[in-house]
Amino acid sequence: MSRIRRDPRAALRAVTVATAPRLRIDRAWRGDSAFANETVAAPVEVAPRPVTIADPDYLVFAIADAPGGALTRHDRQVLGAARLLDGGGKAAVVLLTPCAVAAGDAGIAGADRILPVAQGDAWDPEGMAEAIAASVEKYQPRHVLFCESADGGDLARRVAARLGEIVFESVESLSSRTAIRPSGARRRESRGEPQRLMTVAPDMIAPWRGAPHEVTPLDPAVPSAAPRGILCAERLAVDAAEIPLGEAGLVIAAGNGVTDFSGFLGLACALGATPGASRVVCDAGSLPRGMQVGASGTVLNADCYVAFGISGAPQHLQGIGQVGHVVAVNTDLHAAMIARAELAIVADAQAVMPALLARLGAKP
Amino acid sequence: MKAVVLLSAGLHPNAGTPMPVRAELQAIALARGLGCEITGLHAGAKNPAIADCLGHGLASITVLAIGAEDDPVAALAAEITAQKPDLVLTARRGQGGSDTGLLPYRLARACGLAIAADAIALSKAGEGRLSVVQSLPRGGRRKLDLKTPALITVHPSAPPPRPFVHRERLAGKIEEKPGVREAVEATVFEDRPYRPRPKLIGDGGAAGSAEERLRAATEVKSAGGTLMIDPDPAEAAAAILDYLRAFRP
Ligand SMILES: Cc1cc2nc3c(=O)[nH]c(=O)nc-3n(C[C@H](O)[C@H](O)[C@H](O)COP(=O)(O)OP(=O)(O)OC[C@H]3O[C@@H](n4cnc5c(N)ncnc54)[C@H](O)[C@@H]3O)c2cc1C
Ligand SMILES: Nc1ncnc2c1ncn2[C@@H]1O[C@H](COP(=O)(O)O)[C@@H](O)[C@H]1O
Repeated sequence: MSRIRRDPRAALRAVTVATAPRLRIDRAWRGDSAFANETVAAPVEVAPRPVTIADPDYLVFAIADAPGGALTRHDRQVLGAARLLDGGGKAAVVLLTPCAVAAGDAGIAGADRILPVAQGDAWDPEGMAEAIAASVEKYQPRHVLFCESADGGDLARRVAARLGEIVFESVESLSSRTAIRPSGARRRESRGEPQRLMTVAPDMIAPWRGAPHEVTPLDPAVPSAAPRGILCAERLAVDAAEIPLGEAGLVIAAGNGVTDFSGFLGLACALGATPGASRVVCDAGSLPRGMQVGASGTVLNADCYVAFGISGAPQHLQGIGQVGHVVAVNTDLHAAMIARAELAIVADAQAVMPALLARLGAKP
Repeated sequence: MKAVVLLSAGLHPNAGTPMPVRAELQAIALARGLGCEITGLHAGAKNPAIADCLGHGLASITVLAIGAEDDPVAALAAEITAQKPDLVLTARRGQGGSDTGLLPYRLARACGLAIAADAIALSKAGEGRLSVVQSLPRGGRRKLDLKTPALITVHPSAPPPRPFVHRERLAGKIEEKPGVREAVEATVFEDRPYRPRPKLIGDGGAAGSAEERLRAATEVKSAGGTLMIDPDPAEAAAAILDYLRAFRP
C-alpha cells in the first residue's frame, strides 16, 4: 500500500495567517479540511502478522530437548541462534524435537517447520542420533544447532561421529559470519565461520524476539537401525534435599514470616522440593547458610519457586531472576514477592503449610 | 576386567601450566573401584601432566608418539583395537586442547564400542554388561546397562580422585612407542585469548538499550497472575498443589 506523500509545506500554509509585515502563525490550529488528505492515522496496536517462509533458500535445523513437549529456555536460545543464521529471513528454521511441541509456541520461539524425531517411550540416544542423522542426510541443512546441555551435547557428538564431521561446540557468540567458542581450558577461544554442526552454550545467545513464524510440519526421514549398546535405562529417584540449590528445579523457601522450620523442612520433603531460605532466616541460624537464596546466597536456576513469608527484598529477588514461575504466600498484600508471583496467596504461612502437608498426606 | 584410561595433556585454567585433567583422575579412581587392571593411554608427546597421573593410582602409561598435526583418534583406535580392553574411560571433555569432548565419540565409532556419557558410578552387571550411573542436570541420576566393551566418559561430579602420592609417581612406568600417524587437515579457526562474555540475565530478552535490559533484570515486574486474598488454608493448599503439579518430580 503506498500512502499519499505528505507535503511538508502544506502544514505551514494552512496555519499561516499573514506573511506581511511579518509571518504570523495560528498556533491554536488543530487541523481541518485543508489537511483532509493528509490525516496521519494514529498508530493502531496490531498483533504482528505471522511470518511465512514458504520457499526457503536453505534450511537451518534446531534440535530441542523439549522434555515433556515444552520448550526450555535453552531450546528457545537455540532457536534464537538458528534465526541469526537464516540470512535475514531467507532460510527456514526446522525444529526437531523428540516430543511434540505446540505449533503456536514453536512459532513464537522462531521456528518455521516442525520435524518430529520419533522416539519410543524409553530414552534412546542411539536411535535419536540415527534419526537426526537421517534427517540431515535427507534435507541437507546448512546448519544444525544443538543445546549444549547434558543430553543435547551427548546427542550432538553422537550425530557428529555418525556423520564424520566436527562439531563446533559451546558457541558463546554467534552472528551470520562468525562463531566463537572457548578452548584450551577456557584460556583461549576459537573463532571461525559458523560450522555445519554447532552446539549453543546456555544463556549466551538471546531467544527470538521478533514476529512469530508460521509453523508447518515436515516429513521425517526413515532412519536405519542403529547399533544398540545401551541395553536399558531408568531414572533414579533422588532426594531433593541433597540436590545443590543452584541446580534444583523446584525450590521452596522460608522467610521471616515462618516460625515452624521443622514443619517447613517436612513440607519440602513431602513436595520433593529443595529447601531454601531468606537471609534473615539464615542469619538467625534457623536454617543453614547453604540454603540462602539471593544476591549473597545462591542464584537459582529453578523452574518454580515457592516463597513462604518472604517480603521480596531486591537482594532476594536477584536470586530468583531466572525463575519463570513463582508462588508466594504472605500476609502482606503489598509485599514485592506478592507482585512478583504468578500465584499470589495473601494468607498466614503457618496455616497454609500444615494444610499442604495434610493434603499431601491424604494423597500419597 | 581390563580398563584403559585415556589421558590428555591438560592445562591449569588460571596458570596455564601442564596439569592432569581432574575428570581423568576421577576416571582412574572409578576404574580402581571396579577392581580393573588399568593402564593409561595418551597419544601425543610425553608431557609432565601425563606423568603426574601416575601419582594418582595408575601403574603404567603408554604414550603413542604422534606429531602435533596427526589425528589422535587414528593412533588411539589402532592401540585399543590391539589391546581389546573391556572398558575405556575418558573425561567428558578435555582441558587444555580443543576441549570439544568429541574425541571419545569418534573413537567409540572407530572401535565399535558402545558409549555412555557423564558417568559418576560404575558397577558390574553380569557377563558382558556394565551398569553406569549418569549425572544429569538438576541433580538427576540415570542408571544405564551397557554392553561391554564400552567407552564411558566421566562427569566432574564423580567421586574425587585419589590423592597424589609421590612414591607412586616415581614407581610408575611410562612406555613410549610410535603411534599410527594419520594427518588431519588443519582447522581454519583463528585462535586468540579468551574474552569472557556477559550471560543473559532475567528472562534473556536482550532487546532494547542497556538501560532497558538492566531494568528488565532488576525491576519487580508484576507477573499478573492469580491473586487469592485470605482464602481458606485448605483452598490455598489445593491451589498451590494444582499449580505445582507440572514441576514436582
Ligand atoms: C548487601 C546485602 C545483601 C543481601 N543479600 C541477601 C540475600 O542474598 N538473600 C536474602 O534473602 N536477603 C538478602 N539481604 C537481606 C534483604 O535485604 C532482606 O532483609 C531479607 O531478604 C528479608 O528477608 P525476609 O523477606 O525473610 O524478611 P522480612 O523482610 O522481615 O519479611 C517477612 C515477610 O513475611 C511476611 N509475614 C510475616 N508473618 C507472616 C505469616 N504468618 N505468614 C505469611 N507471611 C508472613 C511479612 O508480611 C513480610 O513480608 C541482603 C541485604 C544486604 C544489605
Ligand atoms: N591425545 C589424546 N590422547 C589420549 N586421550 C585423549 C587425547 N585427547 C583427548 N583424549 C581423551 O578424550 C577426552 C575428551 O577430549 P576432547 O575431545 O579433546 O575434549 C579427554 O578427556 C581424554 O580422556
